[in-house]
Amino acid sequence: MRTQRAQSVLLLGIVAGLPVLVHGQQTPNLSGVWNLESSPTTRYLSYGFMAGDPPMTPWAEERFKATRPSFGPRSFEDSNDPVNPTKLNSAGCFPPGVPRIYLQPFPMEIIQTPGRVLEFFEFNHFVRQIFTDGRPHNTALGATWLGDSIGKWEGDTLVVDTIGFNDKTWVDRAGHPHSDALHVTERMRRANDTTLQIEITIEDPKAYTKPWGAQLQFRAHPKWNITEMVCEDNVNFDDFLKNEAAKK
Amino acid sequence: MSNQFTLWAVAAAFLSTGTPGLAHHGQAGYDLHQQVTVNGTVSDFKFLNPHCIVYLDAKDDKGEMQKWQGELTSPNHLLRAGWTAESLKPGDKITLTGWRAKSGSTSLWITKTVVNGEELKTAAGD
Repeated sequence: MRTQRAQSVLLLGIVAGLPVLVHGQQTPNLSGVWNLESSPTTRYLSYGFMAGDPPMTPWAEERFKATRPSFGPRSFEDSNDPVNPTKLNSAGCFPPGVPRIYLQPFPMEIIQTPGRVLEFFEFNHFVRQIFTDGRPHNTALGATWLGDSIGKWEGDTLVVDTIGFNDKTWVDRAGHPHSDALHVTERMRRANDTTLQIEITIEDPKAYTKPWGAQLQFRAHPKWNITEMVCEDNVNFDDFLKNEAAKK
Repeated sequence: MSNQFTLWAVAAAFLSTGTPGLAHHGQAGYDLHQQVTVNGTVSDFKFLNPHCIVYLDAKDDKGEMQKWQGELTSPNHLLRAGWTAESLKPGDKITLTGWRAKSGSTSLWITKTVVNGEELKTAAGD
């Protein structure tokens, strides 16, 4: 009976955006479908985390010059963006990493479960697991695309700490690089019923001379669902069929 | 009017290039300063990621049939704007407005879609 009541409170909380009961304790409720509403680069919403260039080291400057984004003020038709290539027949569709994944122009759903907060991104259906059960970082898997994320609640804010990245992704869609020393801190809070704020701090001493970041604002879309989005579909799948046919 | 004529002339010049190439992700392949309007008949509609593609047959100013293709945003975004995989069918009369491919091929990034006299918006609702 008590379990049933707890489940009812949980369900009601999710529906109304009220605090959620997890492990018998109330935590703020970040659940819902969210879409990026504003970012510091207003002209190109899903582009970068600051209007200009972040404070790059010479190491990062050199890599940045070699990047060719697929859109924005310095876009290239033969882009070498690992996520959004434009050159015909290039594979691409690699995971965008963090924090760039927030700039892919698709919504995400936050799903809160006991001991874990999930970010379910529509873009290629990537899922980020943020462990909130008090465990330390676990990077036994080695460097990964999305890193290892642990979170803790500070009042109404979920503070997420992520390390363990590979150096294959860009931090944004403008082409700013990072090393495997990237450390991302996110402070997530529900500013009101319809607004989610995520304050991002990027630290990477190899690539940036000082920490930098941005505050992103997301809007709730309670009527939206996350739908299938497969980046490799269409052009890449056609290429795959052609290549298979050519082998015969 | 003369601009439109020039565009059609350019299109005719590139007719020999055959089927226009697909730009994969992003809009870098399109000239954001060169708007073009194409009237024609839908031959196929791919409601697929990453971007939906409209195939149409349209006559140039000499009355010769050309194959065009228009690129839209992803199906997810269009779904939220009210589109379905059946929104465009072969035989539909269509007018597409958008940015012309930089290569000069007969393809465009679609900014406005009018089908059988009715505009299909691409902005998602709440």
